[in-house]
Amino acid sequence: METKAVIHKFILDELAKGRKKNISEDEDLLGEGIIDSLGILQLVAFIEEKFNYTVPDEDVVIENFMSVNAISNYLDQKLVK
Amino acid sequence: MKYRYLLHDGVFENAASAPSQVAIRYMREELTYQQLAEKSAQLANYLQKAGVGRGDRVGIYMNKNIYSAVAIYGILTAGAAYVPLDPFAPTERLSFVINDCGIKFIITNESKSEQLSEIIKQTQLSGLIGIQNSPEIKIPATSWEEIFTLPSSPPLLSLVEQDLAYILYTSGSTGTPKGIMHTHRSGLSFAEWAVQTYQVNSTDRISNHAPLHFDLSTFDFFASSIAGATTVIIPEAITKLPASMAKWIQDEKITIWYSVPFALIQMLERGNLESKDLSSLRWILFAGEPFPTKHLRTLMNKLPWVKFSNLYGPTETNVCTYYHVPLLSPDSDEPIPIGVACENIEDIVVDSNGNQLPEGEIGELLIRGGTVMKGYWGRPDLTEKGFYRRPVFGYCEDIFYRTGDLVQKLPDGNYKFLGRKDRQIKTRGYRVELDEVEAALLSHPIVHEAAAYPVPDVEGSNLIEAAVILVEGGNLSEDDLIKHLSGRLPNYAIPAKIIISDDFPRTSTGKINRRELQEIALTRNKS
Repeated sequence: METKAVIHKFILDELAKGRKKNISEDEDLLGEGIIDSLGILQLVAFIEEKFNYTVPDEDVVIENFMSVNAISNYLDQKLVK
Repeated sequence: MKYRYLLHDGVFENAASAPSQVAIRYMREELTYQQLAEKSAQLANYLQKAGVGRGDRVGIYMNKNIYSAVAIYGILTAGAAYVPLDPFAPTERLSFVINDCGIKFIITNESKSEQLSEIIKQTQLSGLIGIQNSPEIKIPATSWEEIFTLPSSPPLLSLVEQDLAYILYTSGSTGTPKGIMHTHRSGLSFAEWAVQTYQVNSTDRISNHAPLHFDLSTFDFFASSIAGATTVIIPEAITKLPASMAKWIQDEKITIWYSVPFALIQMLERGNLESKDLSSLRWILFAGEPFPTKHLRTLMNKLPWVKFSNLYGPTETNVCTYYHVPLLSPDSDEPIPIGVACENIEDIVVDSNGNQLPEGEIGELLIRGGTVMKGYWGRPDLTEKGFYRRPVFGYCEDIFYRTGDLVQKLPDGNYKFLGRKDRQIKTRGYRVELDEVEAALLSHPIVHEAAAYPVPDVEGSNLIEAAVILVEGGNLSEDDLIKHLSGRLPNYAIPAKIIISDDFPRTSTGKINRRELQEIALTRNKS
């Protein structure tokens, strides 16, 4: 699965479970309460395990985590290097 | 200066004296005091024409945005009371609140239309404000564009300070939300005290972190509008990301930050504070739950130019005591006191029979003064239970609010907070203070957060269970923790089980949700 699909699936199946049936790729995940502050920690832990990449604290910011698109863009950039 | 006795007076005073001063900021949007006053008046004129008046309740249901302030002040200017509805709460709970206090109009926005079509089926709403008419919304809707064509001078009303200003719903101990009624006077008493105590002035930029349904938000808006300061609303998304939150404080040049300790601890842990320029900060105020001393000390060491203040008070009293935190000694993790009573507050401590206790003895804190609520909406029974009446002058009464919190006055005059009266449980006949169990767990250097809660057992008594989050990279077993506690607590107070987990369920206001932890334990024990 490509990065975007993996992230999308995790958010939909794990973090938004029972609260939301569909999430569009540019939907505001945090502002709309789809992910809360615990969800962010789970998401970061998931990324670190799945992609074997440690996300620095200073990268866990709105620009990189506001939507499925933002997260996958961020990871695509980091994972090539 | 005009005689100020209503919560929205500050906005109109500043619109006259400093019209171009920025009152509210949200992301890149701003409203000056003049714009805020005009828009609030336009909303008030609309509401008045729709039949809303003194004492009526109007809901606010949206993620915070620049119009949150217009909603608050517009509703007040119409003589009505605002009722903030948690934008992330389930629709059944919101419908309960709407029906409970008879809300007819709601200020909202497009992102809530899905939930609103549910809510409309379960309530008797007359209209929505802030969204476009649409087929899914089966009641009349009025957009902001339409509102902002109305006359921009406030309707002439004769309101008094005893009129209802806002109702904040909190979870009752039985699980049914209860509506705490505050008047213009009780809100203003707190806001004016805060302006004096923290010397809030027109150069201040005050954060609004708390949701509107949480009482911390009344400082952010009302103290600011009295002082002619700027309230900067933090976008919901940023509150979830400690590194963004710290950068937001830097970029917005926040001078006074007010939040629950949790938000500050998150920034301390993952906000990379060292890399931020936070030199504009002059006060960090916190309230809502105890700030573990070891985290507070670390934060204070990182921000040595900032003054810290612990504000205490159940929502029913706004704030009733405060403690300016001095330099904390490195060798004690003793919880910090809640301090002394605010000006214009009478505080007494009583035993379980309601007899006033001499200074220094442990008892329940009772509070009387300008900041105390009017009562619980529609619940004369709860209201009566919440108040304590002291006869005076033969046939009169002084009315105190029972905080339900146990305190002890220390020799230096500060109150020590000992926990909820109802957090005292009995286990196998022994009386245990759950807060004490939590404090003992927190005294372990590897423990980051702790929660203790009672789990009823088959013998009709309670067992104590606890859950902890360890500091990042820390490693501890349940046995290590039990060993640690055995030197600090009597045997009967040591939890039967300690769960080490990555996270806790939390309430919408960021507090640890101990009730949910308890339910999880109950479900686990059944299976």
